[in-house]
Amino acid sequence: MALLELDGVTRRYGALVALDQVAMRVEDGEVRAVIGPNGAGKTTLFNVITGTVKPSAGAIRFAGHAIGGLPSHEVCRLGISRTFQITSLFPEMSARDNARLSAQARHGRRWQPFGGAKVFAESEALADAALQQLGLGAIADQPAGLLSHGDQRLLEVAMAMAQQPRVLLLDEPTQGLSVEETAQAVETLARFLHASKMTVLLVEHDMEVVFRLAQRITVLHRGAVIADGTPDEVKADARVQDAYLGGLE
Amino acid sequence: MSRSTRVKTTTGMAALVVALVVLVLAPLGLPPFAMTLLTEAVILGLFAMSLDLMFGYTRLVSFGHAAAYGLGAYACGWMLLNTGMPLLFAVFAAALLTGAVGIGVGWMCTLATGVSFSMLTLAFAQLLYAISFKWTSVTGGSDGLAGIPRTVGPFGFAALSSKAGFYYLALACLVGGFLVCRALVRSPFGAVLRGIRENEAKTTALGYNTRLYKIAVVAIAYGLGGLAGALYAPFAGFANTELLFWLLSGQVLIMVIVGGAGTLIGPVLGAAFFMLMEHQLSAWTEAWALYFGLIFIAFVLFAPQGIWGLATGLAGGRLRSAEQRH
Amino acid sequence: MSTLALLLTQTVNALSQSALLFFLGVGLTLIFGLMRIVNFAHGALYMLGAFVGYSLTHWTGNYWLALAGAPVVVGLFGAAFELTILRRLYRRDAHAFLMVTFGLALVVGEAVRLTWGPDALQVPAPPALAGVVFMLDEPFPVYRLFLVATGVVVAIAIWQFLERARLGLLIRATSQNADMANALGVDVKLIRSCVFGIGCGLAALGGVLAAPLVTASNGMAGTVIIDAFVIVIIGGMGSFLGSLIGALLIGFVQVFGNYYAPDFSLAFMYLVMLAVLVMRPGGLLGKEA
Repeated sequence: MALLELDGVTRRYGALVALDQVAMRVEDGEVRAVIGPNGAGKTTLFNVITGTVKPSAGAIRFAGHAIGGLPSHEVCRLGISRTFQITSLFPEMSARDNARLSAQARHGRRWQPFGGAKVFAESEALADAALQQLGLGAIADQPAGLLSHGDQRLLEVAMAMAQQPRVLLLDEPTQGLSVEETAQAVETLARFLHASKMTVLLVEHDMEVVFRLAQRITVLHRGAVIADGTPDEVKADARVQDAYLGGLE
Repeated sequence: MSRSTRVKTTTGMAALVVALVVLVLAPLGLPPFAMTLLTEAVILGLFAMSLDLMFGYTRLVSFGHAAAYGLGAYACGWMLLNTGMPLLFAVFAAALLTGAVGIGVGWMCTLATGVSFSMLTLAFAQLLYAISFKWTSVTGGSDGLAGIPRTVGPFGFAALSSKAGFYYLALACLVGGFLVCRALVRSPFGAVLRGIRENEAKTTALGYNTRLYKIAVVAIAYGLGGLAGALYAPFAGFANTELLFWLLSGQVLIMVIVGGAGTLIGPVLGAAFFMLMEHQLSAWTEAWALYFGLIFIAFVLFAPQGIWGLATGLAGGRLRSAEQRH
Repeated sequence: MSTLALLLTQTVNALSQSALLFFLGVGLTLIFGLMRIVNFAHGALYMLGAFVGYSLTHWTGNYWLALAGAPVVVGLFGAAFELTILRRLYRRDAHAFLMVTFGLALVVGEAVRLTWGPDALQVPAPPALAGVVFMLDEPFPVYRLFLVATGVVVAIAIWQFLERARLGLLIRATSQNADMANALGVDVKLIRSCVFGIGCGLAALGGVLAAPLVTASNGMAGTVIIDAFVIVIIGGMGSFLGSLIGALLIGFVQVFGNYYAPDFSLAFMYLVMLAVLVMRPGGLLGKEA
C-alpha cells in the first residue's frame, strides 16, 4: 500500500481550477519529483497535502489516515514535514536552535511551561543528528540569518528532518541559489537521500536537479497530471514535450 | 554556553541578589514618603514585567494592557469593600479572575494578527473603560471605588496592612512573578514563544498550534498584570477609571521599551525610571509629560535595546575587552 | 416629532458624523497603505488641528481662513516630523513607528495643554452656517449639512486625486511596490513625506471642522484615535474605499446607537468591529489578514 495517496484531488479558486482531479501514489522510500510549467499547480498541491489549503474535492490518504482538510499542524504531527519555496527560518536563533525548535514540535511535552531540560535535550539530540545528516554540524552555533543561502536552504531540510517525518516535502530546495551553490546543495541532498532512504516529494524547476535526485516523476500541467513514470519515460513522453514547448510559444 | 556568557550570567545574578537585598532592607532606611514611591514602583514593575511576556517574548503588541491592571484593581477593591474578604485572598482572587478574563481576551484578539491585534486589545480596554463609567453600582462610575480597606485576615497577617508590611507583600509578588516568568521563558513553552516572535508562519508550519500559545501567554500576562492592579487598589485605597485608560496602556509599553523589552528585569527598571522621572520632572516643570515623551522618542531612535540592554551591553563589552587582554 | 422626521434628522446626523470620521480614517489608511506605518499620533494631530483652527479664527476673525490654514499648518508639521524622525526608522520593524508616533501623541497632547490651557475652547461656526434649516418641519443645524457636503467633496477630491493626478498615481505605485517604484525613478522619500503630511493635514481638517460642534478640548485626541482605528480596521488597512465604508458604518452605529441605546453605543461599535474581524480578519476590503 502506498504511503501517500491522492485520489481525484481538486482545488478551485473561483473559476480557476488550480488542481484538477489529481491522482498519485507515493510508495515508501520513493523520491518523487513533481514538475510542470509555471502555474501548473505544484505549490498548490503541496499546500493541499499539508493542510494549508483545503481541497475542494477528492481524498488524500497518508499511512491509512484521511488527511484531506485537516489543519496543517495536525497533518504535520502525523509525519509530513515540508520546506518552503522562499526561505523561512528563525534568523536570530542559531542553526541548532532552529532545528531544536522544529524537533520539539513532535515532542509530547513541547508546551511544558517550566523546566524542560529533558525536552530540550531530547529535541537537541534529534536536531544535531539532522544537522549532521545535511553536513551542517560545523555551523550549528551560527545564527541562521547569517548563514550562506545554500546553507539556509539545507538548514530548512534539516529542520524538517529533525521532526523525523515519514514523508518530506521539498518545495524547490535550490530556489534562489547560484549555479555553484545549487551544485553543492544537490550533491549534499543526493548523499543525504541515498543514506536516509527517506520518502520525498520534490517540486523543482531545475530539470538537472530533478533527474539527479528523483526516481519517479509526475508531470502537472494546468492542474492535471499528464504523465507519471521514470525519468526516461517522462523524457520520452510526447504530451510532456508539448506542455513544456507549448508553454514557450 | 560560552565562557563570556557564563561570566555575564553570574555577574547578572550577583547584581540581582544585591538589588534584592537592598530592596529588602529599604524600609529600614527610607522615609515614609520614599517608601510610598518605592512600593508604587514595585507594583508598576510587576505590571510592566507582565506586558514583557507578550511584547518582549512573543511580539504581541498590546495597546490595552491597562485592561488587566484596571480589572485587577476594581475586582480586588470591590471584594475588599463588599465581602470582608481578607487582603491576601482578595488580591489573589482578583489576579485569577483577571487571568480568566485574559483567556477570553486572548481568544478574541488572536483572531487577528499584527496591527489589528494591537487595535483589538485597545478596543477591549476602551470597552472596559466605558463600562467602568456606566456600571455605577459596581464600579462607582466616574468617582471610582474609594476607601478600599486592607482587611486583615484570620491567620495573623496583620503585618501586611502596615506600610512596610504591604511593601513586602508587593515585593514578594514581584519576585515571585519574576521567578514564574523566568521559568516560563526558559521552558519549552518559552522556546515556542520566541519562535512566534521571530517567525510565526514558520512556527505554525513546524506543527505548533500558535494561536493556543498566544492565548495562553495573553492569559498569563493578564493574570500577572491583574495581580499588579490588585495590589494597587489596597495600596492607593482607591480604584478609578484612569486605571483602565489607554494612556496607562501606553505608559506601560513605554516602561517596557525604555527598560529593555525581552529581559524581564528591564521593564522593572523602566517602571522605576518612569516613576523617578515623573516625580523629578513634575517637581521641576509642569511640562514633565512633554519631556518624558521626548525622552521616550530618543530611546526608540537611539537606544532600542533599552536601559537594561545598555547596561548589560556595557558590562559585556568590558568583559570582552578584559578577555582579549588575557 | 414624526418617525419619518426623526429618521431623516438622525440619518443626516449620522452622515455628518461619518464625514468627520472619514477625514480621520482616510488619512490613517493612506499613510498605512504607503508606509506600513500605524500613526498613533493621528488623534493628537486632529486635536492640534482644532486648536490651531481656534487660534486662526481668533487672529483673523475668519473661520474660513482657519479652515484652510489649520490643515496646512498641521500637514507641514507632519511632513517635517517624517523628514526628521520617521525617516530614520524605515529599516527597523513596524513597532518602532508605533512607539515613536505614540511618543509624538504624548508630546503634542502636552504641548497643546501647555499652549492653550486645560479648558475646552469654543470655536463659533461662521455666521453663514450658524442657523438652522427645517426638514419635514423639524429644525436642523445648517452646520451639520455643511459637514456632509464637505465630506462628499473631500471624498470625491481624494478619489480623483488618487486616480487622475500624477502625484496620486505615484502614491498608488509606491504603495503597491516601493522598491519597483524606486527603481523606476520615483522619489519614494519625497512621496513618503508628502503622504504623511497629507494624512496629518486631513486629520487636522477633521479637527477644525469638528471644533464648532464639540469645542476644542484636551480629551478629543483619545476618543477619536480609537474611532479612527476601528474604521480603518473595519474597512481594511490601506484601502481608501474601505475607510469610506468604515466611516459610514461607524457613523451610523454611533448616532443611532446613541439615540436608541445610549448605554451600549460604545459596545455596538466594538461588536461591529469584532464581527467584521471574525468574518474577514483583514477587514472588509483589506488584502492581508
